Amino acid sequence: MAILERNPQIVWRNEKRREAQVLQKLEEGGDADDQGTVILLISGMMHQLNLLGGRIWNLCDGSRQQEQIVDALLEEFDVERDELATDVDEFIQDLTKRGWLSYV
Amino acid sequence: MSDAITEQFSAPLTFNWTLSYRCNFTCSHCYSRDEVAEELPTAQIKQVVDVLAKQQVPFINFGGGEPLIRKDLLEVTRYATDQGLNVSMNSNGWLLDHATAQQLKDAGFKSVGISIDSADGASHDDFRNKNGSFERATAALDALHAVGVKTTMSSVISKINFKDFRSLLDLARKHKVTQVYLHNFKCSGRGFKNREDLDLTPDEWRDFYVEALQVKNETEDLLISFDDPVIASLPGYAENPLVKGSSCGKLSLHLRPNGDITPCGFIPLVVGNILSDDFEDLWYNSPVLNGMRNKEAKGKCQGCGAYQDCLGGCTARAFATTGDLSEPDPHCWK
Repeated sequence: MAILERNPQIVWRNEKRREAQVLQKLEEGGDADDQGTVILLISGMMHQLNLLGGRIWNLCDGSRQQEQIVDALLEEFDVERDELATDVDEFIQDLTKRGWLSYV
Repeated sequence: MSDAITEQFSAPLTFNWTLSYRCNFTCSHCYSRDEVAEELPTAQIKQVVDVLAKQQVPFINFGGGEPLIRKDLLEVTRYATDQGLNVSMNSNGWLLDHATAQQLKDAGFKSVGISIDSADGASHDDFRNKNGSFERATAALDALHAVGVKTTMSSVISKINFKDFRSLLDLARKHKVTQVYLHNFKCSGRGFKNREDLDLTPDEWRDFYVEALQVKNETEDLLISFDDPVIASLPGYAENPLVKGSSCGKLSLHLRPNGDITPCGFIPLVVGNILSDDFEDLWYNSPVLNGMRNKEAKGKCQGCGAYQDCLGGCTARAFATTGDLSEPDPHCWK
């Protein structure tokens, strides 16, 4: 399978403090699915990725295939591989359709 | 994915950076012409860039003063772009010929804005107190376009141009500009001194924005931008800004030539120095910045139904005219 790469035209940033807050919330058993930890600036608009989306985004650095991204995420997220693989696939399909990620 | 922007960012998205207050023009509305500050040497400017890169600030916009006055502008820009920062600048265009345009492109400028205040050359020259400045400014736009640098045009709306702003848009089209900024008038520096002659009345501002927003919505070949939070109080205003109210201190900060940080170029409150203070401490804990982020409605803003959208309008104007960051924007028509 091909390597995944971010669109180099997209300006983005990890939001460190927000990420720390999300991790704290998760540790306390809370839900942080709708809290952004990575921001993307595209055509004057800002979009945010939640913790999982942000992790996937960071891993799409032009060095990994999709399966390798799932492998890397399994080291951090305590979920079944199939479930995680489905979530990763949905996210990547969405962002490739938008042109924000591509296979190289 | 989540699109609601409700929490503070970990750093500004943009630093508006005045490398020098020196300028070859003496414009009637200039916020900084009477300002004086020691300038950092190149080595220290690069240290500032290092701080911005470390904080993952994505955008630097050089303003001034005239950025091209600094002999190390290209070197600094190259240094910043090598670290992944997106660099742009605003210039009056006087020093920007074809060769300079090529150098700016080679240094990595993502875009260059040229200030033009009237489509009528004589009026622009008179406003800028510089004969021939209109011709040089438009030539600069052409030179930048010729070498492939994206151009923007900045026009400060004032008494001299608000009734025929469409001609500014036509001028931009003629010179292949991609985006026009119709800036609101700031009451700072000479802008404060010449306010009676240049600034519009609140009702004139309202009428201008109603008309200009309609033109913006009908325009497809040119991006038209406003940076005025008071617009949000217009009935039916549907744009969704990244933050409500002034973006200063939330999305952007300003750097003076000596490295002092202010919320924006129009608010003369120093929150610290980028080289001698801990940036994250300033960003999160500055009383001035937190005051701007957490304004309380005062005066006519109290009980106003639009306050949740405009947050009192432009904080810089409020401060310039009242000395209080939370007072209503004097441009407010409500």
